[in-house]
Amino acid sequence: MISTIARRELRAIFVSPLAWGLLAANAVILAWIFLRVLERFSGLEAAQRTAGLTIELSLTLFSFAAVLAMLSVPLLTMRMLSGELRDDTFNLLGAAPVSLTEILLGKFLGVAGAIAVMGLLPLVLALSLSQAVHLDWGLLAAATVGVWLCGLVFGAVGLFASSLSAQPALTAVTAYGMLVLLSVVNRGEITGSQAVSLFDWLSWNEHLLWFLFGVVRASDLLYFLLFIGFFLALAHRRLTNRRLG
Amino acid sequence: MEELLSVRGLERRYGERTALRGLDLRLSRGEVLGLLGPNGAGKTTCLQILSGNLSPTAGEVRVCGLDLRRRPRQAKRHLGYLPEHPPLYPEMRVDEYLAYCARLRRIAGPRIGQALEQVKTRCGLAEVGARLVGRLSKGYRQRVGIAQAIIHKPDLVILDEPTEGLDPVQIREVRDLVRTLAASGGVIFSSHILPEVQAMCTRVLILRDGRVLHEAHLVQQPNVHSPGRYRVRLSHAPPLTRLTETPGVASAEALTDNAFRVTLRPGEPADALARRLVEQGLGLIELTPDRDDLEQVFFDILSGEQAA
Repeated sequence: MISTIARRELRAIFVSPLAWGLLAANAVILAWIFLRVLERFSGLEAAQRTAGLTIELSLTLFSFAAVLAMLSVPLLTMRMLSGELRDDTFNLLGAAPVSLTEILLGKFLGVAGAIAVMGLLPLVLALSLSQAVHLDWGLLAAATVGVWLCGLVFGAVGLFASSLSAQPALTAVTAYGMLVLLSVVNRGEITGSQAVSLFDWLSWNEHLLWFLFGVVRASDLLYFLLFIGFFLALAHRRLTNRRLG
Repeated sequence: MEELLSVRGLERRYGERTALRGLDLRLSRGEVLGLLGPNGAGKTTCLQILSGNLSPTAGEVRVCGLDLRRRPRQAKRHLGYLPEHPPLYPEMRVDEYLAYCARLRRIAGPRIGQALEQVKTRCGLAEVGARLVGRLSKGYRQRVGIAQAIIHKPDLVILDEPTEGLDPVQIREVRDLVRTLAASGGVIFSSHILPEVQAMCTRVLILRDGRVLHEAHLVQQPNVHSPGRYRVRLSHAPPLTRLTETPGVASAEALTDNAFRVTLRPGEPADALARRLVEQGLGLIELTPDRDDLEQVFFDILSGEQAA
């Protein structure tokens, strides 16, 4: 049942020109950044190079892909629940022998499919160099997983925001607000080491950094899974409350 | 008869406002139950609760003996629901949409094709299977909405204003469809169109302010005339006693200043009454059989309620 809903969501995403537009915009921006990295790297003397091309690509191209995902994913998720609530199509799911958990997981997997496509863009760009230079594919695979996990957190936040209102645009703005907060939460002028480490932990970019260095830590995986679970649980709560009135 | 739906003490509050107050209803196989009432009476809220889309504040709903709150998945397998606005995805083709609905209703993969063909034939959608839902006319959209509600052949079909916005031909088709649905299960639907309910229902509940004001079993012959009862309208309205004293009249009651309900003695013809009224110079404007139609019942009840 989850896969039935996921397939419909994925189809609905790629039937709309919005997803293709976002994909195209992401591809163009990432390709430009990719060329800039190559140009800068190839223009340096060997002695001036502080890091290898793989690290340069990972820290620039892949980290920018995560930022682009943060800007794109709320636009993909904004209609997933709020559009259904606005158009009364949620009644179809509500009257079917399907639990709210299945509905949410189906929708989440649907957007995860779109995020997976988006997350592969930097890797595809890097692959174009495979014949010319030797890259650390293990590191780039870790970076891809990191970008993808970030995208999934953004998807869960977007889905939760989408459950809050029947106005898709409003839910996208709400998702941006939450994601920006999660991005800058460790940048505040906060003193006290304990507070800083907590806010560092809350911020997604701190965890992505390890993946970009090719280090896959259980604690970072746990962070992403925890946040995905947390925001999906909030969305579930919200839909339950809506049914209860 | 097998009981398909049993509702006891249903209550629903939205903050301070109470939409349903202790509603009880039952539906058996073969019945078509109409929920009738003015806008805001609680019809849609009631149907949303019965479909599992809303939780009641209090009360119990059992579908085919299964508690909708405790065993929602099992109970929902037995019901099909058409909301007020058909739940359609405009970007899907009709066939794709109905196949999706079939999977949601847990129809096994190999049987989906057959279910799809059957429901399309039943709802007159055979010609539009390849068209986008968003490009369909309102009538076809409503049909697709009905098709998604019955594709899994549920025992209980819940329809919220199924004929809203349809033309007379389409309304007749929906009526016929509802009758065929009732042959195999039970149908409960809401409407504020009185002739609609009269034409389709075997039983009707009149709701107002979330309460059942009246329950009536309808004979499937609309406008049944009670023999010997007539409505008369007179331009020179006499005192009521003069009417009751008219030969052949058993009783009379005033409805308005110049309209009366007159009951004749058994065997007394209506033309004799007309002749006597004319002879008395009362200015006969209208003489019609007094019909026991739903509209009359509806307005009598509502006006009685308002007066109380």
